[in-house]
Amino acid sequence: MGFFLETLFGGLMVGMLYSLIAIGFVLIYKASGVFNFAQGAMVLFAALAMARFAEWFPLWFGFQSQVLANILAFIAAMAVMVLVAWLIERLALSRLVNQEGITLLMATLGIAYFLDGVGQTLFGNDIYKIDVGMPKEPLLVLQGSFEGGLLLSQEDLIAALVAAGLVVVLAIFFQKTATGRALRAVADDHQAAQSIGIPLKRIWVIVWSVAGFSALVAGIIWGSKLGVQFSLSLVALKALPVVILGGLTSIPGAIIGGLLIGAGEKLSEIYLGPLLGGGIEIWFAYVLALVFLLVRPQGLFGEKIIDRV
Amino acid sequence: MFYRENGQFKSSYRADQQIFPIAQDRIAIALLLLVAFVVVPLGVSDYWMRAILTPFLILSLAALGLNILVGYCGQISLGTGAFMAVGAYAAYNFHVRIDGMPLIASMLLGGLCATLIGVLFGIPSLRIKGLYLAVATLAAQFFTDWAFLRIQWFTNNSSSGSVSVAGLNVLGMPIESAVQKYIFCLVVVVVFALLAKNLVRSAIGREWMAMRDMDVAAAVIGIRPVYAKLTAFAVSSFIVGVAGALWGFIHLGAWEPAAFSIDRSFQLLFMVIIGGLGSIMGSFFGAAFIVLLPLFLNQLPAWLGFSISTALASHLETMIFGALIVFFLIVEPHGLARLWSTAKEKLRLWPFPH
Amino acid sequence: MTRKIGDVILDVQNITLSFGGVKALTDISFNVREHEVRAIIGPNGAGKSSMLNCINGVYWPQQGSITFRGQTFKHMNSRQVAEMGVARTFQNLALFKGMSVLDNIMSGRNLKMKSGILAQALRWGPAEREELAHREFVEQIIDFLEIQAYRKTPVGRLPYGLQKRVDLGRALAMEPQVLLLDEPMAGMNVEEKQDMSRFVLDVNDELGTTIVLIENDMGVVMDISDRVVVLEYGKKIGDGTPDEVRNNDDVIAAYLGVEH
Repeated sequence: MGFFLETLFGGLMVGMLYSLIAIGFVLIYKASGVFNFAQGAMVLFAALAMARFAEWFPLWFGFQSQVLANILAFIAAMAVMVLVAWLIERLALSRLVNQEGITLLMATLGIAYFLDGVGQTLFGNDIYKIDVGMPKEPLLVLQGSFEGGLLLSQEDLIAALVAAGLVVVLAIFFQKTATGRALRAVADDHQAAQSIGIPLKRIWVIVWSVAGFSALVAGIIWGSKLGVQFSLSLVALKALPVVILGGLTSIPGAIIGGLLIGAGEKLSEIYLGPLLGGGIEIWFAYVLALVFLLVRPQGLFGEKIIDRV
Repeated sequence: MFYRENGQFKSSYRADQQIFPIAQDRIAIALLLLVAFVVVPLGVSDYWMRAILTPFLILSLAALGLNILVGYCGQISLGTGAFMAVGAYAAYNFHVRIDGMPLIASMLLGGLCATLIGVLFGIPSLRIKGLYLAVATLAAQFFTDWAFLRIQWFTNNSSSGSVSVAGLNVLGMPIESAVQKYIFCLVVVVVFALLAKNLVRSAIGREWMAMRDMDVAAAVIGIRPVYAKLTAFAVSSFIVGVAGALWGFIHLGAWEPAAFSIDRSFQLLFMVIIGGLGSIMGSFFGAAFIVLLPLFLNQLPAWLGFSISTALASHLETMIFGALIVFFLIVEPHGLARLWSTAKEKLRLWPFPH
Repeated sequence: MTRKIGDVILDVQNITLSFGGVKALTDISFNVREHEVRAIIGPNGAGKSSMLNCINGVYWPQQGSITFRGQTFKHMNSRQVAEMGVARTFQNLALFKGMSVLDNIMSGRNLKMKSGILAQALRWGPAEREELAHREFVEQIIDFLEIQAYRKTPVGRLPYGLQKRVDLGRALAMEPQVLLLDEPMAGMNVEEKQDMSRFVLDVNDELGTTIVLIENDMGVVMDISDRVVVLEYGKKIGDGTPDEVRNNDDVIAAYLGVEH
């Protein structure tokens, strides 16, 4: 029982990490109807920027404090992500506005490849560390109820809290601010939003910047855990099933979807894995998404997809 | 002046419906086939045939299959690598487990297995479309990645999923040298291209395009969406499966599941988009572009007179690749095939401006 | 040429259709006789297109039934309806934009094409002959609609009036017994309307096709229809010959408003 709970918690934590990336997907899809295959590349790019800036700033400006380095690096990385968002909107999105979904999807794939190449050219392609002071020792809890207690990763716990915090911040942003309202209008109907004077281009830059922000947060957490390396962009491929489960237009859905996928993956690997030869994690998330697509395509919290004649 | 259709009147519907109604096109194709079948084997180096032309042919075939699904029938698929893998591994199993199985039979049977899997994973297309369907096809990709890695039976109990074939021959003629492999692939590709072209200009092709353009109206005409979509998946997967068998048997000789990974799926989709959705010729253009681009980018620094580290070179390649994809999608979303037909239209008027 | 108007071929009984809370059609009943031209008219939002969609199997009504040639159905299935000989055009043109005029109209022949996939791929003997035979038939339709010059043009590039003709051509290619036309003259100028009216009447005269027509141009409706159904807010408020309907108080009120 103790082992089951450990696995469950472990899975839930990983799921929160997936959600961090998935939130970026949902943001962009909600506001511009674009399925951003480049989200993973954005996470990697942001993480690279953060890692390298944190390394370089002390050298360039001659100070020692790791905390100061991290703060400056965060600001710099965020600035870079806003620049990336602006460039993407300016050079790619605005020229592809009327194309079909598959074209936009392919464009984001192209952007992903481009970001990969640029990131590694600018920032190098070794494995880099991000050190934001995340506690690395695991936590032992519930020693009274279970023999030896349950092993929880503090790092993952903090990640979960950060993800939850991000969701709250975003929810407030969308519901309470004028910009958030504009974003929701754009997500609903581009042309209607334009006709009441909402500046579409600026909104898209804002959205991609916010997505860039969530990519940066995700990048920091994942990078701190795994080190910043190329495989990070592949993690994003896991985020797709998360948004399918949660619903492409729902941020809370991204959290729930992430939890389900994370827990499901870990549990199925431990309990189903031995029966099927192991390595279930490769496809579990996707097959689960497939089942959802057949039964409830809009996910748990997404809007129903209506086909008009 | 040269490309005029003046005087080329068709007096029967049969003549009007030829694949190449314009005489100059027929001559051009005949020349192209002559070059492909005769000039290349005689004049081109083994390296070029092995490393460039043969992979180009096989990938064109796969792109052709994918184009039928995505370009003609409008169903997004990101799992093409999976269907290639099924074709390759199935053909492998037929080849090694059944003594004396002819190569062509193994390949065709491999294609049929890919068809079955393709239809299976095509079933979601009956309920979902667009990006949702793309995610469903990714399930196929990852599942087959795992299956050929972990299920020992598929790979004749190889532990890492890697297999190899040797001593290939067709009716006693060996398929060993670069020329032999090239000609074999060329023949297969030409035959399949012809069959595919026939399909897309027949009733089933119109059904596929109707589903792509407006599926509700298609139902009202009496087109069965289920039949149209599943046949698109079936035909597409068959062609892709045969291409996969060719890739494994002829081009690689020995392979493991990573040869058919998601990168391959993306590569094929890029070929189809850049080459031109809904165009048989576009598949060839796209394949040529994608195959030649890395070569070109590789040689460019040398031509320009400076050298860069291989790591940097590969990063730059990725960058430029991505940028070119986006550039293409902006400038000509209908791909090289559209550029080609626009050029031909201008050629019809040349030397007059309009 | 005189047409003999036959028995009832299509009978719509007590059809009620709702979307969520909105009732598009409430308890609609009317019939259509063979070889006649039956118009459905009414102000915008009256539910005319929804009615055609029910006959066609695009929408499934919650209540009521439709009887076609003696067979009664709770709701129609698009393909079945097509096989039974009912074709339609669409208000917003549901043409296959990526295909040429010829291919669009040829797609209307799909129900009649029997060759299997393998035969089509090989394009040998019977498959080729079948394709050519259908091509001849379609060319007759192209001649009839006077769109020969555009046969290879992708329909997306044609002006609206010509696209409407292609829509009609595709429906005609199905050799239908009943033709449902959804505002075939919308957006046309006087000349185009005359052409389209001529086509519709020719089809009715020479082929004996029953026509069910949604149209907003009163002049056209009064001229070419045998009987008229009037809908308003999803309810039937008039049913009869053009003259009867023209003098019906409810109909006048619906169109012109009531004096208070």
